[in-house]
Amino acid sequence: MTDEEIVRRTLADKDAFALLIERYEAKLARYLERLGVSVREDREDVLQNAFIKAYRNMNSFDPTLAFSSWMYRIVHNEAMSFFRKKRIRPQVILDDEGGAIIAELEDEQADTAALAELRLSHDELVKALAVLAPQYRDVLTLRFFEDRSYAEMSDILEVPVGTVSTLLHRAKRALRDAFPKPFSS
Amino acid sequence: MTPDHPHTPDPFAKRILERIKGERLVPRPRWEFVFKNYFFWTLGAIAVILGAIAFSAALFQVENAGWRLSVVTHESFLSFVLDTAPFLWACALILFILIGYVNVRRTNHGYRYPLLLIALGAVLTSVTLGTAFYATGFGGEIEEALGGHLPFYRPILVEERSWWVAPEKGLLGGRVLSVTPGVASFMLQDFDGRTWEVDGSDLRGPDLTIVARGGEVRVVGVPATTTAAVFHACFVFPWQTYGLVENGPLPVPLAFFSTTSERIATTTRSELCRGIRPYQELRTLDENGI
Repeated sequence: MTDEEIVRRTLADKDAFALLIERYEAKLARYLERLGVSVREDREDVLQNAFIKAYRNMNSFDPTLAFSSWMYRIVHNEAMSFFRKKRIRPQVILDDEGGAIIAELEDEQADTAALAELRLSHDELVKALAVLAPQYRDVLTLRFFEDRSYAEMSDILEVPVGTVSTLLHRAKRALRDAFPKPFSS
Repeated sequence: MTPDHPHTPDPFAKRILERIKGERLVPRPRWEFVFKNYFFWTLGAIAVILGAIAFSAALFQVENAGWRLSVVTHESFLSFVLDTAPFLWACALILFILIGYVNVRRTNHGYRYPLLLIALGAVLTSVTLGTAFYATGFGGEIEEALGGHLPFYRPILVEERSWWVAPEKGLLGGRVLSVTPGVASFMLQDFDGRTWEVDGSDLRGPDLTIVARGGEVRVVGVPATTTAAVFHACFVFPWQTYGLVENGPLPVPLAFFSTTSERIATTTRSELCRGIRPYQELRTLDENGI
C-alpha cells in the first residue's frame, strides 16, 4: 500500500495512521538525532508531536509532493521549534556515518596535491558539523545522511531548489573551512 | 490491515493513537486549508493591485512634473528632481510588492518560486496594470485625492501650481479670463485667485494661439512685484495635465487670429523679454511646443 493510499484511509479510519507511524518512526527518529536532538526522550516527544500535527493537518497533504517530504518537513519544523523553545544548540551525534559527505569533500579536493594525505576522522567531522550554522547543517544532513534529492530538500525546507543548491554549496565550503588542513582554505 | 487481520500497532504508534483518541483529535477540515491558500493568493493579488495603483500615481506625478519648463521653475535639475520624484509612490510600490511576495510565499507551493521570479512577476504586473490605470485617469485621481489627504504630502498639481504663482521670478500661471482684440493684453486669474492684467505686446505666433484658446496657461514674463498692476508676458505655454479624466467642457475660444497676421509671422521680442533667463531655450520651446 502506498503512503498516499494510507493517507486516504487514515482520513476515514484513524487506526490506519499506525501504518504510517510504523513506516516512518525509525527513519524520522534517526533524522532527529542527526539534526541534533540528542536525548532519546526529547526525540520521542518531538516525534510524537510531529505525528499528531501530521494527523491534524492530514487534509493539507498535497499528493503532488512525496508524503515522506511532507513528513520530514513537519519533523524538521518541530525540531526547530524544540531548539527554540529549549534554547539549546543542536548537538551533533553521528554513529558510523559521514562517509558520503567526506567522499564528496574529497572529490572536490581531487585537484589538490594534499589529497594523498587526506584522511578525515569521524571525530573531526562531528566537530566540524557542530560549529556550522544550523541551515548549513540542515542541508548537509538531508543531502548526505538522509540521501534526499534537491527537489525533496526544497519541499522539506520550503525554499526554492536554487536556494537549496546555493545553501549546499556554501555549507560544503563552510564545512571544509571548519576542518583541519588540508580542507580548510 | 483488514477487519479479518487486524493490525497490532507497535508501542510508539499505539501511544500516538491513544493520544489521538483520548484527546478526541480529528483532522482539520479540508476547506480550512483551501481557504487559507486562496486567502494568501488573494492578499498577494490585492498587494499587486495596490502596487499598480501606486505605480499609476507615480507615473502621473512624473508625467505632470513639468520637465520641459524646469529650466525656468528650478535653479538646477537636481532641485527639480528632488521636488518632483515620486518618492511616496515608489515607497508604496516597493512595500506592496514585498507584501505580495510574503503572501505568495505563504501559499501551498509559494516556497518553490524564487524571490526574483515573484518580485519580477509582481513588478511587471504592477507596471502593466499601473500603466492601464494611468491611461484611464485612475492614477491621477489617486494622486490628487489620496495625496491631498496626507499631511506630509502635496500632490504634484498643487506643487506645480505653487511654482507658477511667482511673479517676482517672472512666472505666472492661471486661467485666461478675457482677451482684448489682437491680444494686446489679457486678464488672467492666477492659481491663488488674484486677477492680473497681462501685457501681451511681446507675445508671438504660438503664444497668441494659446491665449486665444483660453483655459489655463503658464506665462513666462518680466519679473514683477506681487503688487504690480501689469505683468509683462514674453512666452505663454499651455497648462496641460496628462492622465487625468477631464470633467469640465473644453474652454470657449476667446479670440481668433488670421494666420497671415503680422504678429504671428514676427518672432523678435523686445529687449525686456530678451533679458529673461533662459531666453533662447524658451524661444525654442515656444516654437516647437512643450
